[in-house]
Amino acid sequence: MSELFGVSADTLILIVAMLLACYMAANIGANDLANAMGTSVGSGALTVKQAVIVSFFLELAGASLAGGHVTNTIRKGLIDPALLSNSPELLLIGMFSALLAAGIWVHTATLLGLPVSTTHSIVGAVVGFGILAVGFFNVSWNMVFTVALSWVVSPLAGAIIAGAIFYLLDSKILRSAAPYRSAKSMAPYLLGTVVFVIVLSVIYKGLKNLGLNFDFLEALLIALPISLAGGFAGAALLSRLGGPQCRWIKGSEVEKVECVFGYLQIMTACYVAFAHGANDVANAVGPLAAIFSIAQTKSVVMQVEVPLWMLALGGSLVGVGLLIFGSRVMETIGRRITEITPVRGFCAEFGAATTVLLCSRLGLPISTTHVLVGSVIGVGLMRGMGVLDLRVIKNIMYSWLVTLPFTIILSMIIYRLLVWAIV
Amino acid sequence: MRTSFMNLFYKSPFVNLIKHAEKVIDASRMFKEAVDLYLEGKYDLFEAITDQVARVESEADAIKRNIRGHMPRGVLMPVDKFQFFMYLREQDSVLDRVEEALYWLSNRHQAFDSEINEDLRFFVATTLPAMEKLKNLVEMASGFFRRGSEEERETIKSMIRDVRQLEHEADHLERELKRKIFNRITDAIQVYYLIRLVEIIGSIADHAQNATDMMRAMISR
Repeated sequence: MSELFGVSADTLILIVAMLLACYMAANIGANDLANAMGTSVGSGALTVKQAVIVSFFLELAGASLAGGHVTNTIRKGLIDPALLSNSPELLLIGMFSALLAAGIWVHTATLLGLPVSTTHSIVGAVVGFGILAVGFFNVSWNMVFTVALSWVVSPLAGAIIAGAIFYLLDSKILRSAAPYRSAKSMAPYLLGTVVFVIVLSVIYKGLKNLGLNFDFLEALLIALPISLAGGFAGAALLSRLGGPQCRWIKGSEVEKVECVFGYLQIMTACYVAFAHGANDVANAVGPLAAIFSIAQTKSVVMQVEVPLWMLALGGSLVGVGLLIFGSRVMETIGRRITEITPVRGFCAEFGAATTVLLCSRLGLPISTTHVLVGSVIGVGLMRGMGVLDLRVIKNIMYSWLVTLPFTIILSMIIYRLLVWAIV
Repeated sequence: MRTSFMNLFYKSPFVNLIKHAEKVIDASRMFKEAVDLYLEGKYDLFEAITDQVARVESEADAIKRNIRGHMPRGVLMPVDKFQFFMYLREQDSVLDRVEEALYWLSNRHQAFDSEINEDLRFFVATTLPAMEKLKNLVEMASGFFRRGSEEERETIKSMIRDVRQLEHEADHLERELKRKIFNRITDAIQVYYLIRLVEIIGSIADHAQNATDMMRAMISR
């Protein structure tokens, strides 16, 4: 144990853990975020370059301002670290094994061309070492079950929200006598709702790092005026920037509406990147935060919050992953997905981001990609999308069935090996 | 990397449906040319064009099979799959009837008097726009299912009305032409030959109208 906590061993483990976390973050950026931003590129609302810039800053903001809850779930929600307070080195080795196992699985799956979720990999890996470290019955199975349930519920929620929004826009705008005017008059409320969800999720118990702690009612009272002001200010800006251009656009009314939603979709793209930062950065940062805190304090500290710099680092790394590896994915998606128009993209992104942000607030690590798949299907069920291949749902279920056992077992093996070698 | 998100999007069958409708336009132009040549007595050229129409028809058939063969279960479309296939069948029947009319003509090389010639030319000319409108209709519908505006839906509905009107005119002409044939021609073989020809040509517009009826069902809300 003393050897493990020697400076060189500590530094070595920290460096390797950092590298693994960087790898995971870059992978999340290259695949997961690329999918999420691909909808905006596909509809033509953003170019690949703009998508990268928007993602970088909003991912950073989402991770820093709202990323703590999910990180804490992965760090201490799935297994109770208090059970390991007498042997902190085991928790350190365990989190390291989890990061390594998830990294290996994500890398292998990518090489094999299998669709895989980093979220499911890291949750499986943490549960895996937990079974060995604290014993099967001491894993917080309630939490694990809640997380697993959220994987089923979140795409459904995304589908319902996106489908409902599309139904609303279809009946109030697309089918109305003056679609362009209806679109402009609805814009402030659509913008306001997005601002409301973001502000609420950030300030409701989310600003502990800044020493601010609002309860729900206070948060609601602050969020409402901000979102109303934000909505109308945004709409005013929109009519300054996009209004005249959209009004004089050559073509039918619906093309003008699509033009307006092209601008609105820039905002939902920001929303998606923010929500993604709040949820998915935890996959890389969660285990790293645990390792860091143990290495620093040499004990299992329960109360300390995840340091802000670490969340920010995770967010930036995801952005860098998107920049370096994700551009090609976004280009491919943009080329292949021609069915998504700005109105559809807005609905799908709105449904997905709202769901992801709500789940992040509840500390539930979910797959952004799967929620987005659910949202697109939701719009499709309202006859809003082109042709969708629902067999994807089956593939998603297969990927759960493969990912969980694989990462659990791999993490167990790595943990056992490391414990045998070090302790 | 394959992602479940990218796999969600299935290629639109409307791309192939438009290609199929383009074959209908090709065939309609050849049809007019072939009938003109036949009536001018240039039977060799007529036969050559009939062969070309047969080729176009078999190409269209391949497109049809491709559409049908790539619509597995578990694919979600904005329209009813059954209605979509019914539309395709009717659009394909238009081509079949064109081919059938030319094959029927090629059975016998026969000159008619100038009035019957003119009437036949006019009758064929009435069915052509109904055929040619199908491509515009399918393109418009493809856009409508992508964007879903009321404006586009109204345009599609008015195109459907146009085809219905054309079919109505073709029906009317068919009746007049049949009467004329019975009154002016006494040779039983010639009467049979012409009546059958007129019926086949008349059915082209019928199938075009059936197709648009299916389209009307597809865009209904």
